[in-house]
Amino acid sequence: MASTAAVIKHRPKGLSALYSVHNVRHLIQFAFFAFIAYLAVRAIVVGESGTTVVSSPEAYCPFGGFETLYKFITTGGKTINHTHLSNVVLFVATIASALVFRSSFCGWICPFGTLQEGIMAFSAWLQRRIPFLKKGLKALQTHAKPLARLDGWLRYLKYVVLAWIVLATISAGVMVFRGYDPYATLLTITEASLGPGLIILLVVVVSSFFVERPWCRYACPLGAINGIVSQASPFRLERNESLCMGCSICDKACPVNLPVATSKKITSPECIGCLECVEVCPRGGALEMKVGLPFGK
Amino acid sequence: MRVNSYLYGFMSVALFVAIIFGAKSMGIWSTSGKVTSSGEKIEATGASVEEIKGWMLLGDVAKAYNVPVAEIAAAFDLPADVAPDKAIKDLESAKFSVTGLRTWLSQRQAK
Repeated sequence: MASTAAVIKHRPKGLSALYSVHNVRHLIQFAFFAFIAYLAVRAIVVGESGTTVVSSPEAYCPFGGFETLYKFITTGGKTINHTHLSNVVLFVATIASALVFRSSFCGWICPFGTLQEGIMAFSAWLQRRIPFLKKGLKALQTHAKPLARLDGWLRYLKYVVLAWIVLATISAGVMVFRGYDPYATLLTITEASLGPGLIILLVVVVSSFFVERPWCRYACPLGAINGIVSQASPFRLERNESLCMGCSICDKACPVNLPVATSKKITSPECIGCLECVEVCPRGGALEMKVGLPFGK
Repeated sequence: MRVNSYLYGFMSVALFVAIIFGAKSMGIWSTSGKVTSSGEKIEATGASVEEIKGWMLLGDVAKAYNVPVAEIAAAFDLPADVAPDKAIKDLESAKFSVTGLRTWLSQRQAK
């Protein structure tokens, strides 16, 4: 039951409304996205043949660091094709970030997550302007409601993907996932042929119109690793039941569809630390990011 | 203890970026297979066929391994007038590949 003494958050107006965690996060996401896009375009324009040294955008993928980790450790520093020392460093940075700040890499940095959020935002913008599109999508959602039951089970798929990649990469010594990775396909789109990577990329792009962050929810192996590691994080979201109004706006705001409104603590491996729930909560103090002991204690 | 949302976001990004810049300052950073982590160019030297990469020019590899370009062209059914300044990966076909070139050079050196 909400306390009558609780404070309703004041929503700033005018230019002050631009300064919000939501906008700051998007700005940071955009900065990383723009950097990777610049590298990708430069690699296409300059080309990689010959002695011209051009950083491949794939050199900035943390998951490449994970894929080459076994060879890196067992050979004293060598990496598999398409990976470099930078991939290993980025993987270490991502894991350190997950260990301390939960899967904040996913929520604040990952360019592929940013792309999916951008597509969903575009979808919402289109729906506001094209009423029949909004009606159509709502009807589709109603008919697809039975499929929503699969959501919980499908979240485990990314751990299956991760296990396959680990075993297959160690045994083959090459990046077996690269041919299926939609992010790698996007970075090398001018070389893409109609293979699994391009098909998966198209599925992710189209489904991002209907579901928020579908790749993150169901298939991202890096997200799976971050989720596992983040269990040790001392940070977690906590809901104050005495202040909570029970409006469930936080549930609607969560891009990975976590049951924030009915949880006392959010320590789920699915949480990407985006703080959208905290941002939209109308009651000050009802939902907050807190720091305590590791493992959510 | 409550944590300010802006601080949480800032600290998580700062940690990520700090590790990257820390690695760079210690020389533990390379984004291209064409240079070492200390910035030295990687070139074909003739020491080991494993050093041969797809981006290397055919002419540079031929020079490093003391093999005429024409001999490589004949062995792999490449055009007789193949340009030596073409990257190996740009010449790849059903009969010619980086792996195939490594194997052929290795066998040639063993003779």
